[in-house]
Amino acid sequence: MSYNLCFAEVRRGKFEEKNFDMLGLCSLLEGQTFVLLPKSEIEVKGVERIIEVDLREESFLSPLSLVVVFEEVRKRYGDPEFLLFPHSSFGMDVAPYMAGYFGFSFLSDLSSEREGLLLKPFFSEKALAGFQFEAPPPYVLTVRSGSFKGLARKEGMPEREQLRIAILEEKRSFVEYVSEETPDVDISKADFLLSIGRGVGSREEIPSYEILAQRLKATLSASRPVIDKMWLPKSRQVGISGRTVRPKVYFAMGISGSFQHIQGMKDAECIIAVNRDPNAPIFQYAHFGVVEDMHRVRDMLLELLGKG
Amino acid sequence: MGAFLACIQCGRCTGACPESGITPLNIRLLMRMRQLGLPIGGSVPWLCTCCGTCTLRCPRDVRPGDELVRIRSGLVEQGDVPASVQKALEHTFVHRNPFGRSRSRRALWVEALPFRVPHVKDTEERRLLFSCCIHAYDERCMKIPTAFATVLAKAQVEFGILYEEETCCGNEVERLGELGLFEELMEELRKTIGKYGVREIICLSPHCMNAFKVHYGLPIPIYHYSQVLARLFDEGLLKAEKGLTAPCCYHDPCFLGKQNRVFEEPRRVLRMVSSELIEFSRSREISLCCEGGGGRMFYDPDFVYERRAEKRILEAETLKGGRIATACPFCLRMLGDAAIEKGIDVVDITEIVLEVL
Amino acid sequence: MEVIVFVKRVPSFEEEEVRIRQDGSTLDLSGIPFRMNDWDSYALEEAVRLVERFGGSVTAVTIGTDEDDEVLRRSIACGAKDGFLIREGAFVEPIRRAGLAKALIEKEGLRFDLILTGVQAEDDQFASFGGILAGLLKIPYAGMVVGIEEALGDSLTVRREIEGGMQERIRISLPCVLSIQTGINQPRYVSIMGIRRASRVERKVIEGGKILSAERSRLRLERFFYPEKKERAKMLEGDLLGVCQGILGILREKGVL
Repeated sequence: MSYNLCFAEVRRGKFEEKNFDMLGLCSLLEGQTFVLLPKSEIEVKGVERIIEVDLREESFLSPLSLVVVFEEVRKRYGDPEFLLFPHSSFGMDVAPYMAGYFGFSFLSDLSSEREGLLLKPFFSEKALAGFQFEAPPPYVLTVRSGSFKGLARKEGMPEREQLRIAILEEKRSFVEYVSEETPDVDISKADFLLSIGRGVGSREEIPSYEILAQRLKATLSASRPVIDKMWLPKSRQVGISGRTVRPKVYFAMGISGSFQHIQGMKDAECIIAVNRDPNAPIFQYAHFGVVEDMHRVRDMLLELLGKG
Repeated sequence: MGAFLACIQCGRCTGACPESGITPLNIRLLMRMRQLGLPIGGSVPWLCTCCGTCTLRCPRDVRPGDELVRIRSGLVEQGDVPASVQKALEHTFVHRNPFGRSRSRRALWVEALPFRVPHVKDTEERRLLFSCCIHAYDERCMKIPTAFATVLAKAQVEFGILYEEETCCGNEVERLGELGLFEELMEELRKTIGKYGVREIICLSPHCMNAFKVHYGLPIPIYHYSQVLARLFDEGLLKAEKGLTAPCCYHDPCFLGKQNRVFEEPRRVLRMVSSELIEFSRSREISLCCEGGGGRMFYDPDFVYERRAEKRILEAETLKGGRIATACPFCLRMLGDAAIEKGIDVVDITEIVLEVL
Repeated sequence: MEVIVFVKRVPSFEEEEVRIRQDGSTLDLSGIPFRMNDWDSYALEEAVRLVERFGGSVTAVTIGTDEDDEVLRRSIACGAKDGFLIREGAFVEPIRRAGLAKALIEKEGLRFDLILTGVQAEDDQFASFGGILAGLLKIPYAGMVVGIEEALGDSLTVRREIEGGMQERIRISLPCVLSIQTGINQPRYVSIMGIRRASRVERKVIEGGKILSAERSRLRLERFFYPEKKERAKMLEGDLLGVCQGILGILREKGVL
């Protein structure tokens, strides 16, 4: 019976959310679903087999280790039809290496299926390219986060087996995790920015926006006039001469949208602008706009968040 | 070359430099360092706005402004360029404009017009209206070519544009010292202008006019649009039919006034259309630079100081003029950004003209 | 340290629209500017900095057509000592790209301690070239590298980017392949005159078919599709409470709250 092998990403004992995209895709494929895990207590429902490899997590994450692991799995069960990985830092590390090492066909960042074709994003996300495999299996795939999650999976508890393996981590070894926290915040890495502009009016108003940012779990940034007045450090500046940012959400309050500022944030996924001037240039670039005094919006948001 | 050897360190240059005293830029000192063969690097050479005041005031024809460009070109060859300037240059190389916008969207401003603007090759008179990159891509400045095209249409003056073949003229690229890129831009644009038999160019930006007049060596007349407006009023093709507008202060752009001696025409136009023309304390040859030129549109220093544009706005507040009029898109943006908070309007002279036609 | 860096010339769609032709399988690329793949410029800069630090040299390689020589000249202007163009047609699938790279290294006897490339290409976004090449060469691989910290004899300590703002530090032995993430450094400015001067340095052209025979393709690009359209510029109206609830709703929907 054919099977598909899912290489699960497990970090700090956690079965990553993104693994469910692989499992969701498997429900569309023929054959059984096998999940490969490092040594852990993790349970996975709706698959036929869990193969728990006797390796600590950090060792499991290395492409060199997984090549050795796969050799063992192959010996036991033959070649799978699909080798699946999440399209993540882990998946992007291991999947292409596997494909090259074993000479398997490869497709990455699979995001959907249409008309029998496997689709992946192309041209900086501006198009989707549809592919067909022309060679026989096995096929190595990395699966985009959020693409196949909601799909129904089979019922039932899986078989669970252990796989003992001896890996000498000579050529590549994990040293430690490093947090990116630096005393100087890198606003270009933030997913959500709360950005304040000239409209804030005075230094005294800044702390309340820091609180709002905290409550929203946003990173505070600003346009140049706020930086020029030294109400916030230069590291917080968004604009041509500050940082260029592309967050998921850019929430601009009291920013009129000077040319230099717009250049620094126009590619944000979702721009929400609050300004009391209905003609503020920023409204030409925002996805959502509110014509209102920024302090009034701040106060109401703090009230609503306080309750929730 | 070597003109700096004539420098006698009189200090007239630094005395009028808009950046001197408030930033580390000291042009007199830089000339001395050149004389002594000392290396110049870091961020100081990038602070210059290329207003040209130093070159104008120098009694020994040292042309310190041009020497600074030479210093910059040395740094460019070394790859030692501030990140924001680097981005602008790279965008200009790839997209032919410093903002990295699509060439296909160069002439979007024509969409606001009720009539079709022809390509210059489809016109009889081969009169080219040339917009700056900032007119092409900035929401605020886009209104100016639209306004000017409307005025020309009213005066029944035939003109055409280059559409997607209009590229950066390279004026700021040259002042930034990227001479290789400037040469490429110049060659390309000269070829395009020649290909279509262009007989006259009206520039919407003094920067483009400067590049064409000073560097391109074109055998055809190059005008700033204020000169065209002045002539149209003189010839009676334009009349202030709706009366006169509120008083305004005129701000002389450096590349128009100081560097190309066009002081009167914008004033003549404004006197035709507004009830009162007010002068800033620093006007004409000593106009206060808006700090948009010389790459300063892209480069902002790390330290904080009172921007010249803010200073201009503070003065405008004390004068009884309702708004500031200017004839350069860089000045429009730099002064406009500073004026937003104070609620002072900064407009282009064409926009004022349109109000009264 | 001898470094080989693989660079790619790509169409830049940052400000452009993608126009899919009637046949669905090709694009109208007229007016689209081309330049070096953003990730590769970071890889190139990192390579040049490594040899500035440790001595050695950088060789740049690209796979494509004659126009792709542009990225080799840029690489040389940046500090590479020479370049190779592997001439091959339009869309080259990832396995073959890596195969050609391996074949070049073997046929030309290129010595190397380190191979660098960008994490992914802006056009096909496969993010696989470095990994597949390392697998083919059977040498260690690490992708998404945001910092090369130490070189100790025959190994490197590098930092890799993982999700959630975290990084991991690993040790990897040489020779190896690393794929480089943006932001690892600030690529230097390369002047136009510098690129012109680089034309004088030899860039060898090798026919892809001569070093690696054409094999049956494994992956066929059938056609392109447009992604779903997005809406724009909506003003939130109503009283303050309603508007603020609206804002919070948007934030929740975007998953940041």
